[in-house]
Amino acid sequence: MKNKDKPPELQPFFDKNIAGDVVPSIGISMPRIDAYAKVTGRERYAADYYGFDMIWAGVKRAGIPHARLKSVNTQAAENLPGVIAVLTHKNISGSNRQGVIRKDQPVLVDDKVRHCGDAVALVLAEDKETLAKAIKLTSADFEPLPGVFTTETALEENAPLVHEDHPGGNVLLKASLEIGSVQSAKEHCDVLVEACFETPLVEHAYLETEAGWAQLKEDGKLEIVASTQTPFRDRMEVADALGLEPERIRMIAPYAGGAFGGKDGVTVQSLLGLAALHANGRPVKMWWSREESFIAGTKRHAARMYYRLGAKADGSLHSLDTRLYFDTGPYDHLGGVVITLALEHSGGPYRIPNVSFKGWAVYTNNPIGGAFRGFGVAQVTAAMEQMMDMLAEKLAMDPLKLRLKNAVRKGDKNCVGVTLTHSTGLVECLEAVARHPLWTERAAWKSKAGPFKRRGAGIVALMHASGYGPVVPDVANAKVELTAEGKIKVYCGVVDMGQGNAATNLQIAGSILCQNVDRIELILPDTDRTLPSGSASASRCTYTFGNALIGACETLKLRILQRAADLLMVDDCDETALIPGAVRHLPTGREIPLHRLATFMNESERTATQRFRAPTAKEIPPVGNEIRLHGFPHTLFSYGAHLVRVEVNELTGVVDVKRYLSVSDCGKIINPHVYEQQIQGAIAQGIGYALSEEVQVNEGKVLTADLATFIIPAASDVPEIESQPVEIYEPSGPYGLKGVGEIATNGPLPAIANAVADACGVRIFRSPLTPSRVLRALRERLSEGGVH
Amino acid sequence: MRDVSLPRSLEELWGLLDRESAAALYAGGTDLLVKLRAGLEDPPALICLERVGELKGVQDELDEVWIGAATTLSTLMEDPIIQRRFQVLRKGLEVLGSPPVRHMGTIGGNIVTASPAGDTLPALYVLGAQLEIRSKDGSRVVAIRDFIVGPGQVLLNRGEILAGIRLRKVQSYAIHHYEKVGRRKSQACAIASMAALLTVSDSGVVEAARLAWGSVGPTVVICREAEAAIEGKPLSMESLKLAIPLVEKAVSPIDDIRADAAYRRTVAGLLLLRLSEYSAGTCSAQ
Ligand SMILES: Cc1cc2nc3c(=O)[nH]c(=O)nc-3n(C[C@H](O)[C@H](O)[C@H](O)COP(=O)(O)OP(=O)(O)OC[C@H]3O[C@@H](n4cnc5c(N)ncnc54)[C@H](O)[C@@H]3O)c2cc1C
Repeated sequence: MKNKDKPPELQPFFDKNIAGDVVPSIGISMPRIDAYAKVTGRERYAADYYGFDMIWAGVKRAGIPHARLKSVNTQAAENLPGVIAVLTHKNISGSNRQGVIRKDQPVLVDDKVRHCGDAVALVLAEDKETLAKAIKLTSADFEPLPGVFTTETALEENAPLVHEDHPGGNVLLKASLEIGSVQSAKEHCDVLVEACFETPLVEHAYLETEAGWAQLKEDGKLEIVASTQTPFRDRMEVADALGLEPERIRMIAPYAGGAFGGKDGVTVQSLLGLAALHANGRPVKMWWSREESFIAGTKRHAARMYYRLGAKADGSLHSLDTRLYFDTGPYDHLGGVVITLALEHSGGPYRIPNVSFKGWAVYTNNPIGGAFRGFGVAQVTAAMEQMMDMLAEKLAMDPLKLRLKNAVRKGDKNCVGVTLTHSTGLVECLEAVARHPLWTERAAWKSKAGPFKRRGAGIVALMHASGYGPVVPDVANAKVELTAEGKIKVYCGVVDMGQGNAATNLQIAGSILCQNVDRIELILPDTDRTLPSGSASASRCTYTFGNALIGACETLKLRILQRAADLLMVDDCDETALIPGAVRHLPTGREIPLHRLATFMNESERTATQRFRAPTAKEIPPVGNEIRLHGFPHTLFSYGAHLVRVEVNELTGVVDVKRYLSVSDCGKIINPHVYEQQIQGAIAQGIGYALSEEVQVNEGKVLTADLATFIIPAASDVPEIESQPVEIYEPSGPYGLKGVGEIATNGPLPAIANAVADACGVRIFRSPLTPSRVLRALRERLSEGGVH
Repeated sequence: MRDVSLPRSLEELWGLLDRESAAALYAGGTDLLVKLRAGLEDPPALICLERVGELKGVQDELDEVWIGAATTLSTLMEDPIIQRRFQVLRKGLEVLGSPPVRHMGTIGGNIVTASPAGDTLPALYVLGAQLEIRSKDGSRVVAIRDFIVGPGQVLLNRGEILAGIRLRKVQSYAIHHYEKVGRRKSQACAIASMAALLTVSDSGVVEAARLAWGSVGPTVVICREAEAAIEGKPLSMESLKLAIPLVEKAVSPIDDIRADAAYRRTVAGLLLLRLSEYSAGTCSAQ
């Protein structure tokens, strides 16, 4: 093959599968160990299982948003040849309730249907065709109930209740925080800006829809393999819902084909567990169709956010008043935690002395609002960063200078009253944007817009917390082993859903133990083999697990060197060093191969473990315990500044994203290649959020249940993205690292909205910025101005 | 389970159609398979036209160019005759789907699907395409605007197939224009589109205009009034603007999941203004 056909930097990993003979180092770009198998289609995701004697399970969905369940008619389906079982809530002996904080979601509906995607019956069949027929033949008798489909109506006095037993009525959680006073803002502020923003319900749209398989083993153990971000938590949830001892359940989490928060919690797991209990020991598989994933899966919360921001004439922020309404759908899922994180970030990365923040996560009969990359921060950032531009305009101030003036620095209190004791690189990010030609030369670029085009540039400042906050232990337990064969096994407790943390684990272990990649094996999360390490979420994976892994590797290294020193009969293990496959005594050059060394060590000696718990904020801001339990506040934040250039088509309202710059403070970088992928992917996803993605729902029914109508960006919709890190060392992080998984996805919506406002002089408060919304706003403005 | 037959000649095809007259035809399958998966159609058997040589290729005939119905969209896009003579069609092909869809999909499939959003259709309307319909017993020729009668509705009888498309070669239009408005740049169904052919004199006067809009009515919309309004006038914003109300009147868009009717109507009119970009000495077909 000619050289130009292959990008040179990728050559080693295509030739040799992975760069097997390389000893990893920290801070260099390494091909991901999972890349080759994934791009060649060899990786086995949970959805790829087709085992011997396997049967299929599938769900009868309610298809009605709110109703009392009278009965389920299973007979017709049961009579169909090839149907193994049709199960209802009556077949469940546990609590039949799932959830992370509030357990309010049934595995199979017993009393009430609360959204169209609720599972009413579980069907097991020999093959997919029979399964589809049997699901059609299964029916239910409902007594329809009036539903609530907006947060406004859900909060009305006599609104129908989604959960009659919930003391808060349709308010799942109300979070609030007051610091200083916003009452007198009018007197104390020279300028006030006010607006209401609406952001849509959004689907994760991962390649691999919810999937897994399960089998009841002969010894009575229930094995569940699922595409999940949370195997250890799933085990507890499934056990409780199905009435099993947790030890009876083994959860295995292969690489997930995308998750983005949509697999943070139970999707197929309990259903699969239940199916396996009725499958006579045969393996049973479930794999939601794309449409089912749209209807039954969780989504990013739709939000309505009221903002009032006040500042002094010199641009210093004085007060901020916000009210956030998040539509959490029928179940908690993680809605309470999401509204709490939203609240914490609702004032952005700024110093604001007087704030009043209120947030409501509201039950409705819409699809389930849950975790989604950004976790509430994407919504409030969209609001706050547009407020900053509106304020800059009113003050006739440069929007970047306004942000710099108010940006938090290390040692400041942020606007929820937490002192920033960790690395705080927002100013560095903003300064890098301010120096960049995409910013400094924007006026010239704008003036060259062609006919019927308008150009604009927009910026935003970002922050994103990592970890679980003060109460829920943000813990990881790493384990590494020198195998009897002299190789290294890394037991990864945190799922890799595509973000590349497994490869990073290998890089860390390889670099500490000086072993080339060939000699290291990764054991992916498995409740029987790996140690509990929390969820793959909250921008915490490498920060928390990496810290634990470094400790485990250092322990193992010392143990290996000490054992080698003993065998080589030298006094000081300082004279020995690990080299690929062996330990060398440096003064004499004598070597002892690791496989030899391993024979002298028993299993417990060959294994090292380490626990790490992430630091928490020590301040106690004025919020209730309930809110602390939901994760408020955090101590560790990543920061960023984004710049976008857009071109708006005056005849069609289409917004074309031309260039994108992201500057981020996510600490030091372990693998620049993986880091870049996180930033780019997050921005591509954010562009979809800004311009096209919107799950349209009517009376609880999803109208856009496929990828032909729910429009995610394709390759040509994503512009050239430049990603610059400002690498500030974070002392508490592994090699100085902080979280990078989420922050960049919060930027594109407000950045693009600001750029559109810059281009056209109109602001559109409801996203996504569809051609129709943009054109309407443009034409209203033109007709006001009497132009055209 | 269904039988799928892959005839290699028309002879073989007629035989198969005789035996299984309710079988569904397909070429690339990029429309049909989507419908089968959704359960919208449930034919007893499938017959694939992909390998019927007589239905493929582009032939340069005396006054006409003949395009085989089963020619893939990507083959057409690269075809030198199409590139030289029918840029308006090429521009439609360029924005249709994505490379994989164009490798599978065919022009015949796009026509018979008869979606108001079909991206080759506005071009074929302004080019006055004639369709060659064949059956075991013979053939007939029909204009595309008479063939397509509604969304997804074409005048094709059982046993008949679309064999080819005939385009007149002598078309004097120097300006070939197609613009599609979609919700993203590729793999997007048009929410409005417009094809235009213009002849402009040396002094900048529009001598002839052919215009057609997609996605703003049950079928492609043509508007003789708008054409007449710009003919005989300079190609300028002023004269184009005068035609906008005529277009807005001619179209009959609907609200759907992709866009609202009001937007579609407005854009259908505004797309005309883009033609002014061809006025200032930029009268190339590019
Ligand atoms: C992801 C995706 C994106 C798409 N994007 C676009 C787009 O941007 N623009 C656009 O216009 N279309 C788009 N399409 C639709 C489709 O690709 C085109 O309409 C294509 O031209 C169909 O051709 P085909 O050969 O695949 O049709 P098929 O699916 O093979 O056939 C379609 C219909 O035509 C009939 N048929 C086909 N050939 C003949 C014949 N010779 N005689 C009689 N009947 C025939 C079939 O019976 C069937 O009813 C898209 C499709 C997909 C899946």
